[in-house]
Amino acid sequence: MNVVVCTKQTPSTTAVYEVKDGVVSWEDPGGKPLVVNPWDEYAIEEAIRVAENHGADKAIALTYGASEATEVLKTCLAMGCKEAVLVSDEAFAGSDAVATARILAAAVNKLDDVQLLVFGKQAIDGDTGLTPVMVARKLGWTPITYVSAIKEIGDGQITVERVRGNGKETVTAPLPAVISVVKEINEPRYPSFMGIRKAGKAKIPTWTASDLEVDGPVGGDASKADWSNVFTMPAREGSVEMIEGETVEEKASQLVDKLFEEKVI
Amino acid sequence: MSGVWVYVEHSGGEISTVSREALGAGRKAADGLGQPLTALVFGHDVAEAAKSAFSYGADAVLGADDETLADVRIEAHGELLTKLVTDRTPAVVMAGGTNNGRDVLAWAAAGLDAGMVVDGIDIDVDGDTVKVTRPVYAAKLLATAFVTEGTQFMTLRSRALPAAEATDNSGEAEWVEAAMAEDDIRTKIVGYESAEGKISLTDANIIVSGGRGVGGPEGFEPIQELAAALGGAVGASRAAVDSGWIPYEHQVGQTGKTVSPDLYIACGISGAIQHQAGMRTSKVIVAINKDPEAPIFKIAQYGIVGDLFEVAPALTKLFKERLD
Repeated sequence: MNVVVCTKQTPSTTAVYEVKDGVVSWEDPGGKPLVVNPWDEYAIEEAIRVAENHGADKAIALTYGASEATEVLKTCLAMGCKEAVLVSDEAFAGSDAVATARILAAAVNKLDDVQLLVFGKQAIDGDTGLTPVMVARKLGWTPITYVSAIKEIGDGQITVERVRGNGKETVTAPLPAVISVVKEINEPRYPSFMGIRKAGKAKIPTWTASDLEVDGPVGGDASKADWSNVFTMPAREGSVEMIEGETVEEKASQLVDKLFEEKVI
Repeated sequence: MSGVWVYVEHSGGEISTVSREALGAGRKAADGLGQPLTALVFGHDVAEAAKSAFSYGADAVLGADDETLADVRIEAHGELLTKLVTDRTPAVVMAGGTNNGRDVLAWAAAGLDAGMVVDGIDIDVDGDTVKVTRPVYAAKLLATAFVTEGTQFMTLRSRALPAAEATDNSGEAEWVEAAMAEDDIRTKIVGYESAEGKISLTDANIIVSGGRGVGGPEGFEPIQELAAALGGAVGASRAAVDSGWIPYEHQVGQTGKTVSPDLYIACGISGAIQHQAGMRTSKVIVAINKDPEAPIFKIAQYGIVGDLFEVAPALTKLFKERLD
């Protein structure tokens, strides 16, 4: 069996955004504007561990996005994934969560003998957290979200611990399954020097709409969820009231009075 | 297509706060559309919860009472929702923005090829459409999000909207059968370990957080004491978690939890943009930091320049006196 990790390229966590005429752009003070979605690092690591520790033949990385997103796949290969595929087509642009799920499900169906699909819990740009469950629904596979530990994979079954409310739930389910993972599941490895060199030379195939048998419409016109009107958050800045006082007690006392007045206590 | 549905989460007959918020938002949407508000109460032994849903303003309750629905499993709850939406074509299906609410609605929306938007912090009715305002790009920007055709699926961010208040409204629930038999539900829950007694960060009204400035694990003691005096929860910045001073479950920020408490007290937290992403929708933010230039002061409503090891205990003492 093979394990697939689905990843996404996102703006960096330190990106500074600008919205002009409804178009979002960003710059990164660190000069690295696009990164592997931070939540996906745990998914990549876990997919590689499933291959290393739970008998999967190999971990395959799948990314859906623009051509620059091959960078994400190079990171996956450098960390230890054996294959990588980019799914990219102008016709896919503007797809909402359901349309994206159709595209990813079609790509997974094109791969051989996949029994487990691993996602990060959400992406830090759209922040919807919908894709893992929607892809599971489209594939007809078992959905298990917010996984904090894989306990066992064997005999066509997977047993995991997942976050539920304030506690942890142990769940067992038949494969094939789609899981989303949370940060506490592992500590992602750094790519090795050899891994980076190998990934640099790797030829990464791109699958377009004509390579996939997508079940249903895709792209902006087929999408029923619209969040194209993006705007800047009203500034909180400049409104701070600094509490002054001779002593710590005096400052504390003033602050306590203010918070009671705010009725937040 | 008509009707506003709210998928309700409950425990021990009580409707969760986040679902009461969703019922409040559902009421607003239903009134705006001129349509009835229906609460969906799925579970086992849910008669009390169904009654309670009426008291929080539902015009009707669609209930399903079955052992297979006792714990929320995406397929069991999601397939039942799919079936009900197919049969009755509501205009809107809402839920609180919990993991369960999002997962169950996502399963149904994908099955029905419907549109879904998430994480609304405000809602507004525009003609036949319910539009939400939601944070995007790690809460650095906002967007207006809505569904353009068909049933409109949406979730609301926890603690963003006022919860429905209890009234003397009552009614008779309509009961439906579960959509799946136990043998057909693939996920089996074989164990649960709860962290009882702890206040969950995302539910807390008040959060006191510590950052690099606390200096070590013992530095969280004054933070914990202040949180305890206020009946709040303890949060932390990534710097404090990565240093191993406090477990990850306390982390607030872009790669931690997103919170919107009434009061957020940041102690010794510089306020990196990643931390702000997790807490900037808090109602009142207080910053305590030695460094007057710390970015946290830019988004705070009240600031104290000072040593948290002096300020936090002084606050704890005063709150204990005043709240006694």
